[in-house]
Amino acid sequence: MESVQENITIEDLKQGSDLLFKQIYEDNRDKFLNFARKYNLPQDDTIDVYQDAYIIFYNNIMEGKVEKFTSSISTYLFSIGKYLIFDKMKKNNKTINPDFDLSLIRERDALVDASFDLDPNDLTAEQVLLKKYFGTLGKKCQELLTLFYYRGYSIKDIIATSEYTSENVVKSAKSRCMKTLKERINSNSND
Amino acid sequence: MTNQDLLYHYFSNSLTAEQEVVFQTLLESDEEFKAEFEYENSLKKAIKSHESDVLKTKLQGFEHDINSKKTESFNYRYLAVAASLVLLVGWFGYNSFFGTNYSNLYNTNFSEYPNTVYTITRGDDENTLEREAFVAYETKNYETAIEKFDALSETTAQNYIPFYKAQAHLGLENIDDAKTLFTEIVEEDNSDFVAESTWYLALIAIKDKDKEQAKFHLENLIANYSYNQAKAKALLEELN
Repeated sequence: MESVQENITIEDLKQGSDLLFKQIYEDNRDKFLNFARKYNLPQDDTIDVYQDAYIIFYNNIMEGKVEKFTSSISTYLFSIGKYLIFDKMKKNNKTINPDFDLSLIRERDALVDASFDLDPNDLTAEQVLLKKYFGTLGKKCQELLTLFYYRGYSIKDIIATSEYTSENVVKSAKSRCMKTLKERINSNSND
Repeated sequence: MTNQDLLYHYFSNSLTAEQEVVFQTLLESDEEFKAEFEYENSLKKAIKSHESDVLKTKLQGFEHDINSKKTESFNYRYLAVAASLVLLVGWFGYNSFFGTNYSNLYNTNFSEYPNTVYTITRGDDENTLEREAFVAYETKNYETAIEKFDALSETTAQNYIPFYKAQAHLGLENIDDAKTLFTEIVEEDNSDFVAESTWYLALIAIKDKDKEQAKFHLENLIANYSYNQAKAKALLEELN
């Protein structure tokens, strides 16, 4: 498995294969649990952190924040995981030992690329509404907007990977989706 | 280039240096442009959060699979050890003192088959009846599970439903009902659980003290399937 993993490229991951997504999760799971053991978190919390670290890693790949791997996937996951664990401990006001200054390690781990987005997914009230009504859109609209905003696809990329036939078709489909979304939010907030 | 085009390029990370300058200037000078940009940026965050939720659900599903695999392999390992002990103790017992202790053989080898077909943590938009059936099964509410499996088999052709229904009957000690279902599964031969059903038929025969039937099913299992080979051989030796 090791050798398979070392050959995985950003492009492979960006294809969005479920199989690869699962394989990487499984291949790094035990290593991560082992690594996190020293922080003495309950096992369920460690798994939760591992999952969140993996999602952050994956989101950064999908959003095009990483152009090429500068270290192994497990190193990325450890760095993000470490950040999340300290964040969690700080929020819970838990210290590892009284002499430990958490602010020192709150800093971004040098191993994680500077462009990496580690921000927690805190949403504003407007964003919560957008998320809620995005979930009510039809499958096609959700897919189109996801390709555009989450995966950072250009209109040309979208044409290449979907059934849309021209730039104008994509643009007008996107405008319709955005309009529906706005209408749904407005009609709800007027209730 | 329209303002909308500038936004398109921004979100696909493809602004040229020149466009970047125009973009920044507009952000500072054009309120409407700024508002539109902020709206779309919020939408981007909302979609990302939506995607993260989807990913988290998937990962929880993987985790559930990993845990059920572990439980399963633990059971098998435990059973393998138990079967070897049965073999030793049984062999010794048979030859020295009591003859075959069928009830012990059954109890030592019987274990409820784990749910390997339906992941409970899957999203709630799945077929809820199936979910309820397997939740009942996993929590050993066998009567409820049987009711749900019955209702389910009216609407779905999943070939594993009769097998799990038979398991639920075994759990309730309705041996005859379980036997009928397992026999049907083996005869129809179109389920993924034919080998497993054969194994349980052998165990039921042992429970019924029907040595010939038990040997028949075990020989069938050893000759035709890979499931529980070692345990089947050990049991067969025990019976011979």
